[in-house]
Formats: sequence, structure tokens, C-alpha cells
Amino acid sequence: MLRDPESRLRLIALLLIALLLLIVGQLVRLQLFEHPRYVVEAKQMLERQYSLPAAPMGKVLDRNGALLVGNLPVFEVDAYLERDDETATVIPELAVVLNRPELELQAALTFQESYTGTHLWAPLARDVTSDTVKQVRAMDLPWVTITPTWKRYYAEGALASHVLGFVNVEGYGYGVQAYQWRLLYTPPELSAGVISGQNKPLPEEVARRSNTPAPGVTLRLTLDRTIQAYIEGELDKALLEYKAEAGTIIVMNPQTGEILAMVSRPAYEPTRYADYALTNQVGLFVDPAISKTYEPGSVFKLIPAAAALDSGLVDTNWTYEDTGVLEYGGVVVRNSDRSAHGVQNLEGLLARSLNVGAATLTTRVLGAERFYKFVTAFGFGQLTHIELANEAQGLVHMPEDWDWQDGFLATNSFGQGIAVTPLQMATAVAAIANDGVMMRPHIVAERISPDGNSVKIEQTPLGQPISAEAAQTLTELMARGIETRMKQATVPGYRIAGKSGTAQIPVSGGYDPNHVIASFVGFGPLPDPQVLILVKLDRPAIDPQLRWGSQTAAPLFQRIAARLFVLLHIPPAE
Amino acid sequence: MSVTWQKRTHGVQRHKETFDRALARVFLGGVIVVTLLGSLYLAFVATNTRLSGQVWQMEEGIAEWRRQNEALTVEIARLSSIPVLQQRSIALGYAPAANVHYLVLPEP
Repeated sequence: MLRDPESRLRLIALLLIALLLLIVGQLVRLQLFEHPRYVVEAKQMLERQYSLPAAPMGKVLDRNGALLVGNLPVFEVDAYLERDDETATVIPELAVVLNRPELELQAALTFQESYTGTHLWAPLARDVTSDTVKQVRAMDLPWVTITPTWKRYYAEGALASHVLGFVNVEGYGYGVQAYQWRLLYTPPELSAGVISGQNKPLPEEVARRSNTPAPGVTLRLTLDRTIQAYIEGELDKALLEYKAEAGTIIVMNPQTGEILAMVSRPAYEPTRYADYALTNQVGLFVDPAISKTYEPGSVFKLIPAAAALDSGLVDTNWTYEDTGVLEYGGVVVRNSDRSAHGVQNLEGLLARSLNVGAATLTTRVLGAERFYKFVTAFGFGQLTHIELANEAQGLVHMPEDWDWQDGFLATNSFGQGIAVTPLQMATAVAAIANDGVMMRPHIVAERISPDGNSVKIEQTPLGQPISAEAAQTLTELMARGIETRMKQATVPGYRIAGKSGTAQIPVSGGYDPNHVIASFVGFGPLPDPQVLILVKLDRPAIDPQLRWGSQTAAPLFQRIAARLFVLLHIPPAE
Repeated sequence: MSVTWQKRTHGVQRHKETFDRALARVFLGGVIVVTLLGSLYLAFVATNTRLSGQVWQMEEGIAEWRRQNEALTVEIARLSSIPVLQQRSIALGYAPAANVHYLVLPEP
């Protein structure tokens, strides 16, 4: 039947066609109908998730572009061992290179008896420098993995530590870095693709998707590192001179709200934050300038004075009879010198810092509703929203509060029974310096993205608690007050306005009989104030007769103001 | 191919040869096209792999330069930090100024 060659050829052709159809059919089945399943299977076999290299975090610069916080390139060295990997012979050398005790390293690289896995992963060293990595690479150990990463570097050491802060591995922290962490930090990105034996993407993967991570946003602060270093030095000297436990200095531009420098003691070294945490010293991380409240004392007398002037209820001719005592709401108010001062006007009230006068203003002139309207307008009891983490809002008792006592109206007038942060106090006084307009205090001047685009932070007014006329009148009264009774706060050639305060410290059941908080807040030069300085010294342990704000904080203010006018190129007017 | 078979098929031989030649040409053409396409594919894949390798090297280079750049930035910051500048100034014989005044010089 098949002797005919043509038939045989046809048969062969038919068989070949059938085979071809079979192959085509299979191809159609594999390429079309079962394509998705095979794609998934192929991916499972070839592709793995891998992490892209860690991106450098955003830098933090001072107002002139000097680096405050940068990134130091370091490495992580780990071991990924199989059971038959030889480690014993290299451990002594590796211990020397990685600066780890040999026994500790040996323990880390040993499979425990209870462990049944085939592989062992062990971290060997962190924050390793490139020189050490070169030595490790030279040892040519196939089970050692080296991962490039970054370490935060503080160029000026502990300078401005409270402002700069830190962020721990869990993402919690303090200062501007914690507040702006989402901008500064680009979390490690994960991607899936075809990887090599070293768990790294193959060139084709890299070509398809850039492997270079985008760094974080750089922040340019309003801080001036020179001023910051200067006031830190001055505060340290003052703490020694007055034997004070702690202290805060804030330097701000009242016209813009820019914080030029801000320091608090005690402070800490941000690079060593983990050591402090281990030794239960986390309290050091709290920034007293923004997170701790205090009773401001006589500095707060500026607020009832401002309120009364703005309301038109008093003017510079207003007088009252100072009998040395005022009783209101069950509270007896006395002047700090326990004396009566006779007929006094607003200038005398501020210059002599008369508690009775301040209480007279709030209880007999202003009344609770009007006074607390101004207290609120000046921002007390509210966050300033400065770009620093963990800001406290303070405590102001309002007449409608459940725990309100009538006596608060008298005591609050001279800064008792009210809790504020130093920054709130500085911001409120800055409003007086700035013709009544209160600017939002801010520490970030500019945000610069990795591609070079920058966004300058707008100066935002928080409101205008008092009129320009009231602010100017009060400024004049403050200036005359220190010119007549507090020469130690004046700077030759410059006109300055200021107010001192010596506040008692509330303790359980009353006030600490032995300690005070001495403070001074002033601004200048008048009539165009460009600098406001708040000085606060906690518990100066010197002779009680010499620890008043006018005797401790005021001279410190004077020294700082005199130097700042030179540093800021502000020529004397006289 | 035997002479007997040639004689038996002599009637269709010429037509068959013409068909075979055409088939051979088509087959040859197909082979050439497939070879060309295959060569193009291989060339494309080879170029792609080579370029991918270059991109990979460049990415590695960028990462390394970035790390060196950051290291240098940090080193410059360290050398120009206030404590280092103070130390260098004192070593050069300068002394911290205790009393600083703003001097306004008269116009010449």
C-alpha cells in the first residue's frame, strides 16, 4: 500500500504536519491559555524581593548654609553562614579587624545545639568605616555580607542639641529632626525582580528601574551657628557664676519670628542618645525651651499692662494708690519688697515690678473676661507650632474651667498660677516689640529638595493681640523702666526695652521657699527692634538677696545683647 | 535514485523539480528570514545586556560618588566647625575677644 513513493511522501508529510500542529497547539496552550500561570511560576523561581540601597537622610544647615547635621557613609557587616562554612580559623583575625572580643564573635558565629536551621544570620558590626570594610573584603570570606548605610553626623558636636534633636531606630525622637522626619528620611525601598546570588538585582533589573535612592529633603534653619555657640558659652558661664541648675536663652527676630539661637541646659550629645537611654537619662532629651513650663513671674506683668493700654482703660497718666497689699478672691497680694509705694503710674508699676499694681490692673481695671481674652490672644495656653517635636502648650486657668478660683485673676497678673513655656513668653513679648503683630516662631527657613528646588518658609503672623499704639507705648514704658531702675540691662549706644522676673517655683502644697526662677526678656535696639532675647536661670543658688532676675538674668541679657548687636552688624544709634 | 524509478516517474519529473525548487527557495528564504530575525534578536539582547551592565556600573558609580561626596561634606564641616576653628585660631596666636564694640568710623 505504501510502496508508492508518493504515498510514502504524503504519509511522512502528514505525520510532519500532525507533529507540527501538535507543537503549534502546545505553543498556543503554553503562550496563550496557560501564560499567566507560567509567568507566576517563573517569577516565583527567578524573582525575589530585594531592598534598594539606603538613601542618605536630608541634611540640616544653619541660616548661612553651614552643615549642622550630615551623613557619614558607614557599613553594616553581617554573617550568613551555612553549617559547613569554616569560621574558626578566621575568627581571631576578624575579631581584631572588627574590634570585637574573640569569644563574643565566636559565640555569634556558632550554630547553637537547639538550632536546627541550615543557615545562620548574625550581625557582626555596625557603623563600620570604609577602611575596616577594605580589611574585611581582603579576607575574602564568602559568608560575610557588607551593606552600605549611613550614620547621622553632628558637625558641631553638642551645639544646639535640643533644637537639632535626633530620631531613634523606631522613628521617635526630639527636636527639628523628629518634627520633620518624614521629609528628612526616605524609608528603605523594597522592590521585586531577578536577583543575583548575593541578593542584589541583576543589571537588567537595574536598567529597568533606577537603583539610586532619592535622598531626603535638606532643611536650612533660621539658627545662626555663631550666635548659637556664643549664647551657649554665655549660658554655661552664667550657670557657673550663679550656681544655677538649669537655664534657657532664646534669641529671636521679633519682626519675622525667626529663632536665631535657642539653648537650654542641661543638654546632651545627640550622637550618644542610646547611651543616655541605657542609663535612664531620657529626661535630658526634653527641651525646656518648648516642652517644660514654668511660672513666668513678673515678666508676665507686661500682659495686663498691654491689655489695659490696648483696651483704652489706662494710659501713661493713669495712677493707682499702692498700699502694698491687695486682697482679692481670698488671695492676699503683696509687693516683692513687702512695701507700699504710694501713688504709682504704669511706668512705676513696671519699673518697680509691683505685684499690687499688676493685680490692680486685672482685678479693678480689666476684669477676668477681658484679661483672659488678651492672655489667649498672646498665645498662652496654646501651641506656637514651631517646627520642633514635643512642644507643650502650657496651662492657663480660665473663668469657665471647673477648677477656676477667683484668686487666679490676681495671681496671674504677676505671673503666678499660670504655666508657660519660655518660647511662648518670648513670642508674646515679641508681639509688643513688633507693633502688636505676633509672628509665628519658626526654626526652618527653607526646605531644599534633592533636585535643588527650594521652598522658603513664609513668615506667618499669628495675630495682632494689641494695637501698634499700645505696643509702642508699652515699649516706651519698658525702655524707661530699665533706663531708670535697671542700668545693668542697658547697652551703651543702643536703646533697649525689657522686663525682669523672679518667679517662685510651685511644689506640692505651695511654693518652694528656697528656690526661684530668674528671668529677663528684652528687645532692641529701639525704635526698630531686630533682636529679642529671653534669659531664664533656674534655681540660682547664690545669696538670696542677689538672685533676682534683675541681678542675674539682666546682666546676662546685657552681655548677650551687646555682642549680638555687633554680630548682626547693627550700628549704635547714639 | 535508480534509473528505473526515473523512467517510471519521467512524466511528472519536470513539474516536480520545478515545485521542489520553488519549495527549496521558500524554505531557504524562510531560513534566511528566521536567521536574520534571530540574529537581530540576539544582537538586541546582547546590546541590551551590555547597556544594562553599563547602567548598573553607572548606578554603582553614582552610589559610590555620592558616598564619597557625603564623606567629603562631613569632613569639610568637621574642619570648619567652631571648635576646630577655635583651636586653630588659638594655635595661631589669636585670643577670644572679651569686650567687643561696634565702631562707627566717620566718612572719609
